[in-house]
Amino acid sequence: MLRIENLDFSYGDLQVLWDLSLEVKQGEIVTVLGANGAGKSTTLKNISRLVRASRGTIHFEGKDLGKLESHQVVELGVVQVPEGRRIFPEMTVLENLRMGSFIKSTRPDRQRNIERAFTLFPRLAERQKQLGGTLSGGEQQMLAIGRGLMTNPRLMLLDEPSLGLSPLFVKNIFEIIKEINKQGTTILLVEQNVFQSLRISHRAYVIETGRVVLSGTGEELLGNEHVKKAFLGA
Amino acid sequence: MPPTPRNRGLAVLPIVLGIAGVVALAILPKFVESPYALQMMVLFFLAVIQGEAWNLIGGYGGQYSVGHAAYFGIGAYTVIVLLQSRGIAPWWGLFPALLLAVLVAAIVGSITFRLRGPYFVLASIAVAEIFRLAALNWKQLTNGAEGILLSGIPPLVIAGVQITDFSSKVPFYYMGLALAVVTVLVTIWFQGSKLGYYLQAIREDQDAANSLGIPLTFYKNVALMISAFFTAFAGALYGLYVGFIDPQTAVGLDISVQIVLTAIIGGIGTILGPVIGAALLVALSEALRSNALTDLLVGIGIVNPASTIGQFLRDNLSHAHMLIYGVLVALTILYMPDGVLGGIKNQIRKRRARAAAGGAA
Repeated sequence: MLRIENLDFSYGDLQVLWDLSLEVKQGEIVTVLGANGAGKSTTLKNISRLVRASRGTIHFEGKDLGKLESHQVVELGVVQVPEGRRIFPEMTVLENLRMGSFIKSTRPDRQRNIERAFTLFPRLAERQKQLGGTLSGGEQQMLAIGRGLMTNPRLMLLDEPSLGLSPLFVKNIFEIIKEINKQGTTILLVEQNVFQSLRISHRAYVIETGRVVLSGTGEELLGNEHVKKAFLGA
Repeated sequence: MPPTPRNRGLAVLPIVLGIAGVVALAILPKFVESPYALQMMVLFFLAVIQGEAWNLIGGYGGQYSVGHAAYFGIGAYTVIVLLQSRGIAPWWGLFPALLLAVLVAAIVGSITFRLRGPYFVLASIAVAEIFRLAALNWKQLTNGAEGILLSGIPPLVIAGVQITDFSSKVPFYYMGLALAVVTVLVTIWFQGSKLGYYLQAIREDQDAANSLGIPLTFYKNVALMISAFFTAFAGALYGLYVGFIDPQTAVGLDISVQIVLTAIIGGIGTILGPVIGAALLVALSEALRSNALTDLLVGIGIVNPASTIGQFLRDNLSHAHMLIYGVLVALTILYMPDGVLGGIKNQIRKRRARAAAGGAA
């Protein structure tokens, strides 16, 4: 479904991604693991065309994303839920969700998608008239994911959804990601919460200083000595 | 709490008040003949038009253009140059003027909207300065720093009937009023429109808006083009009304800054904010110009007119309007970050909350 090949990317003189390749197949949850600054978010930004790589290709369902603008990638069915819960603080929960069905083709599904978001996150239904900025961190993350779903994505890119959330919310968010995946959305997840994310992932990649150093199924990596040593502190 | 009935009452009240206000303003020249009062009102309307126009891109879109003098100047210069050197009546000259402003906005927007935050602000200032320098140096067209003195406006005749010969301030009063009402109506429409919502999303978080598939530059450009349209309209009206334009008074940085201040002081991203800001700024600038502020300070007895301070204020305060504006903006941002309108709303909300809390206890 998504295929990244030999991606090189630099911020100015600083090369962040080195010959990076990875693949996401239809229906999977794939996690990209790595420490701060390893290049995880940069990889996602390359997919959603917020930045452009100097070398390498990204194909989504056979289409080359290289020449597309960000908003065109969304029209293809790839949505990024940005890091740090970028919701619209001065808009209500409902307005935030409505803003998600910007693309014309998704507008007929708006009501159904709002209901879907409310079913996944009952808390959002309770707070639909509240301003986004007044929600708790966990609720904002729910809203950001719910808003992303409004675009009818076939591939959802999640950038550290557990960042800054309470342990209880973290568990909850991962359960919901699993549920969204079951409902038919493929997921590419970037995370630092290694244990939780590997548990729900079909496959995973480990990135260190911009290079893929390990890949395998979620279970394989959970049992991998290197992963244990580097991330789980065991 | 069940807020439904009260909300409905609130929705009707502003409409009634708004219509009453417009009607009152429309019959005002029948009772007030003082040219001075009419002059103040025309300046007020012009400020409202500019403030509301800027508000579309600056207030709702969060793109703080400090270069709106460019569009103001394009409107003024196009109409005046066409009238003075080609004899083209201003109501025809308006079409190329507005078209040109919208075109320039589209080009400027496509280039400068790639920049964000302070970089965009700086770029917008630079663009306006380019136009000011062009007006200053393209002497064959603009007569350079000497400016253009209008020798007269042909009378407006529709179907053989002379509507007005522009010999008094009244026709300008009505044109200003009409355009001010239109810009307020456009803002009301804009706030509830999809376009307005996309702009507000862009203001609140550009990257999040982009991640939902909103093409940022496109929507910013559309808003800037509407904004430029009305700003140029105001410029044309200003040029015709004053009968004289030069690069400083039609494309100067002062104009850009005043437009922004009108919106910021009143309350950006609100419908009535620029109206309030316009009233405050026009009154203030007049009070400074006529030394009324010094007289007031003397009158209350704060300042002794014979003292050095009194003399200093009398000599200098009338030139210091930009300085005073600066202080005013600093105060607004410190104490009323949502502008005067936002500040009042916050006070009311606090008072209600306190009353509600008191009632509950």
